[in-house]
Amino acid sequence: MTRAPRPWRSSLVWRVTGNSVLLSLGIIWLVGSALFSQISTGIFSEKLDNALSDSASSLRSIEVQLAVAQFQNDAAVKKMVDQIIFVASIGGKTAGREVALLHFPTVKPVKNSFERTSNLLSSKSVPNDLRSRVRTHTGVQWSKTQIRYLGGKVVNAIAVGSMVEIPRSGNYEIYFLYDLVSQQNTLNLIRTALWFTGIALIFLIGLVTWLVIRQVVIPVREAAEIAEQLSSGDLGRRMEVHGENEIARLATSFNEMALSMQQQISRLENLSRLQQRFVSDVSHELRTPLTTIRMASEVIFTSKETFSHKVARSAELLIAQIDRFERLLGDLLEVSRFDAEAAVMQVEPMDIVGVLVRTVDYLHPSKDLIINIHAPSEPIYVDADSRRVERIFRNLITNAIDHCEERNIDITVVESDDAVAVGVRDYGVGFQEKDASRLFDRFWRADPARARIRGGTGLGLSIALEDAKLHHGTLEAWGRLRRGAHFVLTLPKVAGMELISHPINLIPENELSTITGIVDDEEL
Amino acid sequence: MTLIMVVDDDQDLAEMLGIVLNSSGFEVDLINRGDEVMDLFRAQTPDLVLLDVMLPGMTGIEVCREIRKESMVPIVMLTAKGDTHDVVLGLEAGADDYMIKPFNNSELVARIKTRLRRVISENAGGLKIGDIAIDQLAHSITRDGRVIPLTRLEFDLLVALAKEPGRVFTREALLGEVWGYRHATDTRLVNVHIQRLRSKVEQDPENPELIVTVRGVGYKAGAPGSKEIGN
Repeated sequence: MTRAPRPWRSSLVWRVTGNSVLLSLGIIWLVGSALFSQISTGIFSEKLDNALSDSASSLRSIEVQLAVAQFQNDAAVKKMVDQIIFVASIGGKTAGREVALLHFPTVKPVKNSFERTSNLLSSKSVPNDLRSRVRTHTGVQWSKTQIRYLGGKVVNAIAVGSMVEIPRSGNYEIYFLYDLVSQQNTLNLIRTALWFTGIALIFLIGLVTWLVIRQVVIPVREAAEIAEQLSSGDLGRRMEVHGENEIARLATSFNEMALSMQQQISRLENLSRLQQRFVSDVSHELRTPLTTIRMASEVIFTSKETFSHKVARSAELLIAQIDRFERLLGDLLEVSRFDAEAAVMQVEPMDIVGVLVRTVDYLHPSKDLIINIHAPSEPIYVDADSRRVERIFRNLITNAIDHCEERNIDITVVESDDAVAVGVRDYGVGFQEKDASRLFDRFWRADPARARIRGGTGLGLSIALEDAKLHHGTLEAWGRLRRGAHFVLTLPKVAGMELISHPINLIPENELSTITGIVDDEEL
Repeated sequence: MTLIMVVDDDQDLAEMLGIVLNSSGFEVDLINRGDEVMDLFRAQTPDLVLLDVMLPGMTGIEVCREIRKESMVPIVMLTAKGDTHDVVLGLEAGADDYMIKPFNNSELVARIKTRLRRVISENAGGLKIGDIAIDQLAHSITRDGRVIPLTRLEFDLLVALAKEPGRVFTREALLGEVWGYRHATDTRLVNVHIQRLRSKVEQDPENPELIVTVRGVGYKAGAPGSKEIGN
């Protein structure tokens, strides 16, 4: 299907104008044709009436002349016939009348024919059909015809014919031919006028429609443009209100809508600014005393040997809890930064494998726990925020260490053309399938009754997910109770690009067969 | 004795900093207002300044800028915000390092000691990078006999690169070497200081020839006139 040209589709003015021009073209065509055919029928029938009455009177006078006259010889007849033809065709061209006197067709040649025509008229001007009707019917017959002059000139005409008997010669047909030149001229004139009027009308209708529709469409178009500007962020734009018609009402309510939108947005912006400000203030106000507490506790801690056992242990707990408090505060601030959409990315080329290895080295808690890294020996460079990527690794690995129950942890790095994926697999407590989506909820714990494990703040996975999303990457979790968990981070090689491939399958290969089994169980 | 000037509006924290630094063998001057720093700074000429960002009278960023106008003394900012904006502002104002509150004592002392140490490598004599001569004993660099003033940190950074010409330093390696960080990946520190160093030593900082960026990896000392370094 071919599509309509662009202005037709995109502009209401052109479409409405075009449609009304097309419609009025049809209507004017119909009306014009009907009008023209009625006029031409009227003109023709008037001419026919004239022709019939004129020919009837001429015929009568000819019959009278022939009846009254006494013919001694052929010459007298010829003279009479000549006179009749002459009289009948007097002013032939100006009166628009021609006369033809034609002999009945006979087998043997007529000895003394008085066939005559006026003004070098060809006898073929009378149609044979009319002639046979004249011969077989009494009275006057007529037909449309064309006058053919011997010179080749052809004129539309009406032929009226009758039988006439010429003494000493026999039966003849006499025809009066009335040309339609002036009627044709009149009709031509009318047709030209109709064409002209029609074209002018269509043009005017188009123009009027265009002007009228513009009055409606221009405010609508203005509204559309202003709506576009509003949606692109220019909230101060308003429509102009003229008069009190529907368009003015549209403009008024449009402006009211824009105003309430602007107020709402600025209120939200204000709230968000307040929130960010609050977060930043809390950060400063809390961190300064926390710093003092921390430094003081460390001074106490370093001289714990001089204290009693209880006081020394208290100093240890104090230090540990200050650490935890600090981590919690940091995570809370990070979360509220995400909530305020104030997280800023610092994208630069970084080696994923290098950062991963460093993070593992840093977190590796004890020699008993084995963390295997299955990664290419070559560095894998991606454009990403190294601080955030490292934080994702730290959160995933801390989570794995906390839940691995002293079993090995496998970390896999696989790259594709557009993405790099890191899978962190542990074989520890795992989690129920239904909890996979809630795992990333803040402060969510699989088993609320279970004791809090030392490392996490309860915000780590949630922050890791937000960090992954900032890169337009994904972070997914697979897990089964007592069979462990598998977290897969997939990052585009250039932060912000859409992910096409997922180099690591979320479901671990050695678990694929058991998965189907579990699904079957649930369906039963 | 090494004198450290501590500028912090929180009197308790300032006192605590004083206790910790004193017990690590430093002498400490405590100031609570930003607009009082410069007078005391000129009078005392401290060896290092610990500077809080939020200060009454004059912000830490402004103070930092003022100090840099007259001195190459090491400056370590103390910030409660880890936000990129504040950190980068502080570094651009001339701070050598920053510490995010809360920090622990040993880390603070370690950083301060790193900033105060004088790195002298085995071949303490004449290091060269391009047309710049580095005199590690005098702690100065010269181009065509003219001294180019550098902060101590910028000097350390240049020396680290010049010591092993051709070696590509990752930002993390430089963080460890120059700043004494072990596990940090805050590469903003490196980036900002490389820019500052380039603006001082490069003939055309837009097209650096002495300190070359190796895309995706880090930096290395370059040989002017050729972008390629043969190993």
